[in-house]
Amino acid sequence: MEEMILKLKQEIIEVLNLEDIKPEDIDNDAPLFGEGLGLDSIDALELIVLMEKNYGIKLQDPAKGKEIFKSINVMADYIQKNRTR
Amino acid sequence: MDRVIRCIADNVVSPLGTTSRSNYDSVKAGRSGLERYESMGNITTPFVLSRVDRKVIDGLCAELGISGNYTFFEKFLLCSSVQAVRDSGIDASSDRVLFIVSTTKGNVSLLGQPEEGIAQERVLLAKAAREVTWFFGNPNSPIVVCNACISGVCAQIEAMRALCTGRYDYAVVIGADEQSPFIISGFLSFKAISDEPCRPFDKDRKGLNLGECAATVVLEASDVKDSGWELVCGAIRNDANHISGPSRTGEGSYLCLMEVRKECRRQELAFVNVHGTATAYNDEMESIALYRAGLIDVPVTGLKGYYGHTMGAAGIMESILSMYAVRDNTVLATRGYREQGTTYPVSVSSETRECKGSEFIKLLSGFGGSNAALLYRFVE
Amino acid sequence: MEMKGLDYVVLNQGNAQLTELYRAHIGDWPKFFKMDTLSKAGFVASELLLKKIGERRCEGDEFIQNRAIVLFGSTASLCADRNYQETIQDKDNYYPSPALFVYTLPNIVTGEIAIRNHWRGETSFYVLEEPDAAQMAFHLACAFQDSVTESILAGWVDSRMNDDFQVFMTIIRKEDAADTERLAGQLQLIINDLNK
Repeated sequence: MEEMILKLKQEIIEVLNLEDIKPEDIDNDAPLFGEGLGLDSIDALELIVLMEKNYGIKLQDPAKGKEIFKSINVMADYIQKNRTR
Repeated sequence: MDRVIRCIADNVVSPLGTTSRSNYDSVKAGRSGLERYESMGNITTPFVLSRVDRKVIDGLCAELGISGNYTFFEKFLLCSSVQAVRDSGIDASSDRVLFIVSTTKGNVSLLGQPEEGIAQERVLLAKAAREVTWFFGNPNSPIVVCNACISGVCAQIEAMRALCTGRYDYAVVIGADEQSPFIISGFLSFKAISDEPCRPFDKDRKGLNLGECAATVVLEASDVKDSGWELVCGAIRNDANHISGPSRTGEGSYLCLMEVRKECRRQELAFVNVHGTATAYNDEMESIALYRAGLIDVPVTGLKGYYGHTMGAAGIMESILSMYAVRDNTVLATRGYREQGTTYPVSVSSETRECKGSEFIKLLSGFGGSNAALLYRFVE
Repeated sequence: MEMKGLDYVVLNQGNAQLTELYRAHIGDWPKFFKMDTLSKAGFVASELLLKKIGERRCEGDEFIQNRAIVLFGSTASLCADRNYQETIQDKDNYYPSPALFVYTLPNIVTGEIAIRNHWRGETSFYVLEEPDAAQMAFHLACAFQDSVTESILAGWVDSRMNDDFQVFMTIIRKEDAADTERLAGQLQLIINDLNK
């Protein structure tokens, strides 16, 4: 799980161009949206693409993303349970 | 500035007709160009689209004498503008005529699918517009307005300003967009497209539909009082909030409405023709802007349920149909609307209503935080 | 009457220059890294120009808040268009990117600058065949017909490839545009610099 979380953080940093943020800067339990990383609605949509491209998870309803992108831990857990690749 | 800017000819080419009149009659009769597609190219998600039959456009081109190596987009621009220019009676080859093209993506489909006999540089918007001015033998450099979804209103505002300077006597303002997989896939990635016919301002609205249309107005600068449609004023304002999400306070649209209200005679205002894309955020934002601008009681009407979102053509086609509606004392039904779905209850209806007045406001908003509005007035 | 020339900034040295300038002179707008080349170039040039003329960002100053942004270019969003097309071209690797798609509209750069500065005036993007000073001066002068527009952040911004762009930014006040021919002359001097 630890390894997967690190990989996920690296992927997020890359696709969202979080240039000055390192994996260790992202708290596993802190909300991804809201304060902190300064992510917006386009970032949320891009995370949906990431889930499909890297883990084969199709998310039709963007509102569901709100739940899944609560924190790195929640997201990693969801991916673990639903990944098809 | 005592010059009056008057609309002397117009045309709409869409799945609902190839003239403004036939489009208006179709809409009034409740017809829609929206159809469901299960896939297109690499797209496998279903979506609803209003698409022009390519054979109709080719037939129209043959009829109008438009022959040459043109892309679909260029043919689309030409078959609308040739009709409007013909009806206006102006000499479009004069240097006193300015051509303004409104589009968001022009020939972008050439990127994915190059065409034989078409230079790849026509993907550049001004090169595509040059094909149009060449066709008419017009010597001026064309200008393309590329302000996302508000382009069609911006293009008319720019034409009005250019005419007010006295440098030009006429402006031919043409708007069009081709719905290629490029645009459709992009809006799908934004989860903004509905797989059902859109429901502007409805509580169950699920997103927008895209559509194809080409529309033209020929504007004239005149010092003489005469009967006809006058483009009175317009404004473009930015939300300064977010590049894709509409402002929660409707800031830019509110500022635009306040600006055109200065010239508007309230008792003469027949309706506001809104953007009404049927996305959750857009329609909510517009209701807030209308409320803040003190226009919440004015009849509101949206045309996306008939045409989808026609991008570069929207501001022009929707202005033209509004002119026909005002002259017909009619607020066109907002197709797809059933039940109030915005915080502020705008005066929208699924039925055609009667109205009085000689003016209307056209409102648009789009990506980049952009908003625009204009005011047209019919002078007897 | 002698009038001084327009203050302006020209950039055309590739993405490394933009990032370097961002880090050296701006640094507090991480959204910069999410932008496409067109927006990065326009954003950095506008920031440097505002620094150069010593204008402070202040919310509530109506005069500045109403400033218009009017930009011109010939390639529009072509570079972003190509980048996005890559994400949809291949059937087996079809993952359309919303973050790339949003930049396939050239007026996004005007929005980025408006957001940064809280300017709520007009924002417009016009596509021309080439940087034609007379044509630009005419349309800039037209923009002053708006009742609230007293100054315009104006410029040319073009990007053919991810690492190949040209941008100039200048601020034009209403009085600068009163004589359109003179304004065209001043813009021509900047365009000459752009092509160096």
